[in-house]
Amino acid sequence: MSKKLLIGLLVLVWSLAVSFGAFAATTLTFQSYSNPTEQVAQFIQKVLIPELQKAHPDVEVNYVYIPFAEYMSTILQQAISNTLPDLVYLDNPWVPQLIEAGVFQKITDNVMQDLGEDFWMDFFPGHRLLTSKDNDIYALQVHTNNLAIFYRENLLKEAGIGEPPKTWAELQDACQKIKESLNLYGLMLYAGADEAGTWQFEPFLWSNGGSLMELDQPEAIEALGFVTGLVEKGYTPRDVIGLKDQGDVTIWFMNGQAAMMINGNWEFGWHLLPDVLEKLGDVKVTPFPVPEAGMKSAVLPFGGECVGITTSDSEKAKYAWELIRIWFGEKLDEYYEKWTGHIPTLASYAAKIANKRPEFEVFIKQAAYAVPRPPMGGMDKYPDVSNELALALQRSLTGAQTPEAAFKEAAQNIKSIFTPEEYEASKARAREILEEVLARAKGQ
Amino acid sequence: MKIPRTTLFLFLLPSLALIFIFGVYPVAYNIFLSLKDVNLISYIRGTAKDVGSLNYRTVLNDSLFWRALYNTIVFTLLSIALQMVVGFLLALLFNYEFPLKGFLQALVMIPWVMPIMVSGSFFRWFLNDNGFLNNLLASLNWIREPVRWITSEKTVIYSLTAVNVWLGIPFNFILLYTGMQQIPEELYESADIDGAAGWQKVLYITLPMLRPVIVATFILGCILTFKVFDLVWIVTRGGPGGASHLLSTFSYSLAFDRFQFGKSAAVLVLMQIIVILFVGFSNRIRLEER
Repeated sequence: MSKKLLIGLLVLVWSLAVSFGAFAATTLTFQSYSNPTEQVAQFIQKVLIPELQKAHPDVEVNYVYIPFAEYMSTILQQAISNTLPDLVYLDNPWVPQLIEAGVFQKITDNVMQDLGEDFWMDFFPGHRLLTSKDNDIYALQVHTNNLAIFYRENLLKEAGIGEPPKTWAELQDACQKIKESLNLYGLMLYAGADEAGTWQFEPFLWSNGGSLMELDQPEAIEALGFVTGLVEKGYTPRDVIGLKDQGDVTIWFMNGQAAMMINGNWEFGWHLLPDVLEKLGDVKVTPFPVPEAGMKSAVLPFGGECVGITTSDSEKAKYAWELIRIWFGEKLDEYYEKWTGHIPTLASYAAKIANKRPEFEVFIKQAAYAVPRPPMGGMDKYPDVSNELALALQRSLTGAQTPEAAFKEAAQNIKSIFTPEEYEASKARAREILEEVLARAKGQ
Repeated sequence: MKIPRTTLFLFLLPSLALIFIFGVYPVAYNIFLSLKDVNLISYIRGTAKDVGSLNYRTVLNDSLFWRALYNTIVFTLLSIALQMVVGFLLALLFNYEFPLKGFLQALVMIPWVMPIMVSGSFFRWFLNDNGFLNNLLASLNWIREPVRWITSEKTVIYSLTAVNVWLGIPFNFILLYTGMQQIPEELYESADIDGAAGWQKVLYITLPMLRPVIVATFILGCILTFKVFDLVWIVTRGGPGGASHLLSTFSYSLAFDRFQFGKSAAVLVLMQIIVILFVGFSNRIRLEER
């Protein structure tokens, strides 16, 4: 009896101590869809959090993992029930919507005081455009990525192709040779009916001068016609419309079913790990092909993740910012060089990393011609616009509609998403960004 | 002992609360959402405006909605018809004693015990242009070009229906089979004495005696099939180009691909109306039977 009482008392004292302890410290929550075993998550848990705790031993940081598929619906629930975490790490196209919705706290003063104007201006323009609004900063993009052509050098040689394709015409030519001499698919890509499908088509669209807001124009229809042609001629399997994600593209490529694929640099940290590359032995990367010879680079969308503060508690926000400052201040070298398969978002780091990780060189060069997606497609209406494009792409690739009919219908649907004034403004904005980057890409 | 009414009510209270929390409230809230301009931004900010019937008009003007409605009807009716016929034939078969009966019965049940995630992923791989089925047909020299089971907007819904038939046969089989076990053996024995042929016994004894079970299976099957989501989402995500959307996947894609919660809610309300009409209609059939 007395033993039970003693145990009961001990439990009581212990739980009081624990709850008191937790009460005394500030506890931050860092929310992310990066699986705890992935490199970014490992960096946050093993480097960033301990570093913050060195300066502030009473601050606890919990790393919370939520799978990608449930991420936005979770944030939505949290925002409505006032249970947002303190720091959020997430995909960059979502950021404008969340800024607009008031989910992120302003960090303009923090950035300017602790990191400085020069640091902010060192971000590639697209990253600044995405994480700020009306001259206020709401988040920082921590790394970027884009798309290029991965190819199997030996297969290209066997098919009698000396140089990897640089233009659309050369790409088509290479595919034809691969099909005829090796009976393989020339180019694998992703065309699922989702944002990733749009993202893989955008380099074709934009490099050809087409705009998401003007899909009924010849430049856009021509781009769709080109990709549709790849499927019609049997250079790309029609199954690309039903893939699960861009990782599936790499599986085909690794299995030797396709000699080339469109994919992003993150694959070096996902499927194309060092042992796989060694086994395949001949995987190379070449820039995304351009519509006409002489262009310096294709115009690509950029991906990558941002980090922002979501807590409105000023005490917590102070430590949350401290964590971001350590990331971008003291630990940025280490992050880019040691921990991730990602490209820097800061111009001054780009060249440095290119020297250390040669496999990223192509992507880093292209990053200068990469633009953010939301401003190209109606900013916060981008998910809707993107969805229309992905559907039209699928209709064209399956032959349900001609490229022209598919894009005319999509253009009509996209118009109806906006009010006439909004539409004109978004169209002009996209045009402006596109013309600027196209001029640079064409070297004018 | 007579129990006071208040006590009776107390016993009812938990279930009433559950019905309200998980039944009435979500449905009411969904109707409320369908009348507002709810997207990601307006939802979080709480600034969604009343738009009256705008969401309904937009949805009814969307060709994808009509495609999804057509698909849902084709998918449901074809699935149910084929599942019930095959399920009935299997039930007839298993009503006889034969060697390996238990083993074969277990085989028939496989589609039911397999998680949809597994069977769905399998069929995606099985039905692709470069998939197992086309490779098999090509190696038998039956086809030159791959058959576009799930990559053509014309065929995709029928392929998905076929997969769903396969998935649903065990459900129909087990209900009809259990029903058949309840039919008194004497009826068949006296039919034997009267010299009835096998098909006559099925037509004049099994089918009429099984009627209540058939009607119940039909209604349950319709409701279960009408709201199928996972199979289509895993195999095609409603593609290619929206051609295989059911109302359920269309509504999900509106909400979680496009954050158009108001329009998504409108589709759900329309779905509910269809189900209510159907249940009312089938109740009338059952009443007329009596």
